[in-house]
Amino acid sequence: MQPTSLEFAVQPTSGVPIYRQLIDQVRALVASGRLKPGDRLPSVRQMAADLQVNMMTVSKAYAKLESDGVLERERGLGMRVPVGALDAGAATTMVPVVERQQELRPFAEELATRAWQLKLTDDQALAVVRSVLKGRKS
Amino acid sequence: MTDPVISTSHLKKSFGSKTVLQDVDMNVPAGAVVGLVGTNGSGKSTLIKCLLGLLKKTSGSISLFGEDPWNLSASAKSRLGYVPQIVKLYPWMKVKHIVAYTSAYYDAWDPAWAETLLDRWELPRDHRIATMSPGQLQKLALVLALSYRPELLVLDEPVASLDPVARREFLSSLLELCQHEQHTVLFSTHITSDLERVASHLAILKEGRIVLFDELDAVKDRVKRLRITAANDLPANFAVRGALRSEFSHNRAMVAVGDLDDRLVGELEEKWHADVAVEDLNLEEIFLELHHE
Repeated sequence: MQPTSLEFAVQPTSGVPIYRQLIDQVRALVASGRLKPGDRLPSVRQMAADLQVNMMTVSKAYAKLESDGVLERERGLGMRVPVGALDAGAATTMVPVVERQQELRPFAEELATRAWQLKLTDDQALAVVRSVLKGRKS
Repeated sequence: MTDPVISTSHLKKSFGSKTVLQDVDMNVPAGAVVGLVGTNGSGKSTLIKCLLGLLKKTSGSISLFGEDPWNLSASAKSRLGYVPQIVKLYPWMKVKHIVAYTSAYYDAWDPAWAETLLDRWELPRDHRIATMSPGQLQKLALVLALSYRPELLVLDEPVASLDPVARREFLSSLLELCQHEQHTVLFSTHITSDLERVASHLAILKEGRIVLFDELDAVKDRVKRLRITAANDLPANFAVRGALRSEFSHNRAMVAVGDLDDRLVGELEEKWHADVAVEDLNLEEIFLELHHE
């Protein structure tokens, strides 16, 4: 997959700094194998323009991901997932489902609280989740 | 490390016996986009006017591009853009006239970009300034200030009279400006959500003092709210070091801290046999916590 900025969503009004949000999302894409070795990320300029955030914010996220070895800098071409990296998409190296589910948990907790406040049944809440997931695929 | 674009030390400004700014120390690095926030009457406009040499300081020092703003050279002025809170332009001129008139003052004027901005903000060239709304005037003043891509752009409440669509357009334009090398921006606002997208630095002015100046990300990493659930009821003298605010009853407490360090949570857990949850705060919440009386 050659990701575009559409694969990312940041919440500027969240308490989590925007650069951290980007780091978390790139890590998730790599850990799950959605991004494969050699896949290139949008340029700093492109990402900043599309997400309407400061370029320094994007540079900072990329620099941290580079120093952590999640991404590598290709001279003149930008950032990509290291070619030497193990392909997380290959079943043997993929981060286990349980761990990836763990990552999703805080969002589910937030959802559960709001569903309770709205007095929605489990099925009613899950129907919303299903419809959102379906919307993403199409 | 290049010299800061703006630097102040012990800056003080009084009007008669009323002190508006006291002991302001601030260094704005080149390339920073600084959001200056503060409550009404905290001194934002006065600070901006002192920095630009539009008001004379009472004491202390200010340096702008390494010069004294009160005696700013013509070359420094040509690298500076400023949009005041209340825009006043010659009422008899039409949009196209004021654009042509202003462009003559600046060697770096970019006519193509000026046209793009006029289109983007839907400012008809033939409108007369006298008939324009405050929002349109503000947009026009922003076009005039952005069109020569000043090295330093200072904006006093730039989005106050803009509708949400125009505000978003303005933010895009500001981000575009910042993409071009080392442009420094200082803008005051009380709309913190705009600031969160574009600002690299945050300055909080409270009662004439800068109570916080740091990178925005660092601020979000440091200012946190702790929810503490202790094994037993908390004593009447319950206190947390470095607390901005704390509230507690029975065995539960909510404490906002200005500088969360790794040790604090562990200390609290141990001392009160407590469960401590750390909450992230957005800018608006941080602002409110810093202004809690």
